[in-house]
Amino acid sequence: MNRAVAAARMQTVHPLVSLGLPWAIVGLSFAINLIVWRVGDVAAQSPGDGSTGGLGSLYATVLVIFIQAVTHMFPLAMGLSLSRRDFFAGTALAAVVQSAWYGLALVVLTVIEDATNGWGIRLHFWAPSFLHVDNIALQFLVFAVPMLACAFLGIAVGVVWKRWGTPGIYALLLISLLLAGVAAIWITWLKAWTEIGGWFADQSVSVLTIALPAALIVVLAGLAFQGLRRTVP
Amino acid sequence: MTTAATFDAVTMRFRGHTALTDVTTGIQADTITGLLGRNGAGKTTMMQLLTGHRVPTTGRVQVLGRSPYENDAVLSRLCFIKESQRYPDLFRVCDAVAAASWVYPGWDQELAEQLLEDFELPRKRQIKKLSRGMTSAVGIVLGLASRAPVTLFDEPYLGLDAVARQLFYDRLLADYAEHPRTIVLSTHLIEEISDLLEHVLLLDHGQVVLDADAETLRAQALTVTGPSRSVATFGAVHDVVKTESLAGQTRAIVRTSTATAHRDAVDLGLSVEPTSIQQLVVALSLRSAGAPTSPAAPSLQGVSR
Repeated sequence: MNRAVAAARMQTVHPLVSLGLPWAIVGLSFAINLIVWRVGDVAAQSPGDGSTGGLGSLYATVLVIFIQAVTHMFPLAMGLSLSRRDFFAGTALAAVVQSAWYGLALVVLTVIEDATNGWGIRLHFWAPSFLHVDNIALQFLVFAVPMLACAFLGIAVGVVWKRWGTPGIYALLLISLLLAGVAAIWITWLKAWTEIGGWFADQSVSVLTIALPAALIVVLAGLAFQGLRRTVP
Repeated sequence: MTTAATFDAVTMRFRGHTALTDVTTGIQADTITGLLGRNGAGKTTMMQLLTGHRVPTTGRVQVLGRSPYENDAVLSRLCFIKESQRYPDLFRVCDAVAAASWVYPGWDQELAEQLLEDFELPRKRQIKKLSRGMTSAVGIVLGLASRAPVTLFDEPYLGLDAVARQLFYDRLLADYAEHPRTIVLSTHLIEEISDLLEHVLLLDHGQVVLDADAETLRAQALTVTGPSRSVATFGAVHDVVKTESLAGQTRAIVRTSTATAHRDAVDLGLSVEPTSIQQLVVALSLRSAGAPTSPAAPSLQGVSR
C-alpha cells in the first residue's frame, strides 16, 4: 500500500472518532435548538432570521480531532517507519476527504432545511443566513473549505504540541494574544474599526468562507510541515 | 562481512549534554547484534539515528547504503520497536497489527496471528488498557512479523515475565534462522541474551568501548586468580579490565590478546575461570566510568546527566 495512504487509513481506524463524535456533538446542539425553537416559539417571538451558531461546534470538534491526529498518531506512524512526509501527506489526505464528506452532508441537510422551511419552525441551523448561498456547488465549498482550514489549524497546533510540548502551547497562546492585542491597540489608535468592519461587510460570502480560509490552509500547511521536519516522535 | 548500517564520526549533542561522541562503527548485515551499555550510554540515541528519528549533530549515519532521514527506500525496510512506543488512545491490539501490515512490505500475517496466540494477547482490547508486559508483547509481535531486513529492538521486553521472554528468544531465533536479517537488540538483561548474540557493541558515555563478535569475546574473556606478582606478569601482555586484591592475592578480569593466553596463565600458576559476556561488560563499563581513557572527558558528561 502507498505509505501516505496507509497513514491516512490509520487516521480513520476509528470511525467513532472521525465520524461519530463530531456529528454526535453537533446533533445534540441541533436537538437542543429544535426543542428550544418549538417550545419557545422563537421564530414568532423574535424578529431575527432564525439563525444559530450551533454549527460552530462541528468545526470546533474537527479542530480538536486533528490536534489529536498529530499528537496521538505521529508517534505510532513514525514507530512504524513512516516518514514525516508520508505522515503529513496522509493526515492532510484524511483532512481533505473528511472535509469533503462533511461538506456534502451539510449541503444535504441544508437542502432539507430549505425544503421544510426550517424544519417547520423557521430554524436555520445548518445554513445560518450568513453562510447561505443559492448555488449548491458553491454552498459545498462554503462548508468544506473552512472545515479544512479548521483541520489544518488542528494539525498545526498538534505539531507545536509534539515538537515543543506544553511550553510550546503556552508560547503559542501568549504570542497569539500579544499579536491580537497589538493589532487591536493599533486599530483603535488609527480609529479604523469601522473601516475594517466595512471591509469585511463588503466582501462576498465566497471571499470570506472560501478564499480567506484557502489562503490560511496554504500558510498553516507550510508552517506545520516545516515544524514537523525536525520533530522527534 | 558486509555492513547493514554505518556510523561515520557521529556526534549527537543535545542542549546540555552529548549523547554520542565521535562514534565510528558498523552494524553487520544478517547478524544479531547486542547493543549494550548502562542507562544513558547512548543506546536509544543510536537507534533514533538509525531510523532517521533524529539527525546527527555532526558525522554521517547510513543504513543500507543511504541516509535514513525521510528516506522511504530505507524506512520501508526498517522496523524499530521501542519500549517507550505510544499507541493512540483508542487503538486496539488488532488495529496496531493492521496498521503494521499496511506499511511493512515483508509483513507475515500468519506469523503475527501465531505470535498473538503465543503471547495470549486479546485482539480486541485497547492497548492502553494492557499491562506493561503485554504492551511490550505487542511490540514484539510487530517487530517479528514485520520481517524487516533491519529490525531494531530497544529494550523490547520491559515488564515481560520470564516465560514470555523465553518465548521471545525462541521465536526470534526460529524466525531468524528461516529468514536471516539484521537484528539489533538493546538490553540490560545481558546474561539472558548473551547466547543469542553474534556481535556485541558496548557503549559507555556516548562512546563505543567494545565492538567485537561474541564468539571471540567469550574466548578472550578470562578471570585469573593467584599471587599478585604473577597476575601482574600475566596482565602486562593482556588487557586487564578489573582487578581486586587481598592479602597478596589478586583476581583479575582480563581480555586476552593471544591464543595461548589460557595456557600461559596456567603456566604462571594462576587459576583460570571462563568469564561471561555480562561480567566483561560490567567490568568494562565500570572501568571507563572510573578512569576515562579518552580526551573527550566522559566524566563531564556524567555530571551533566
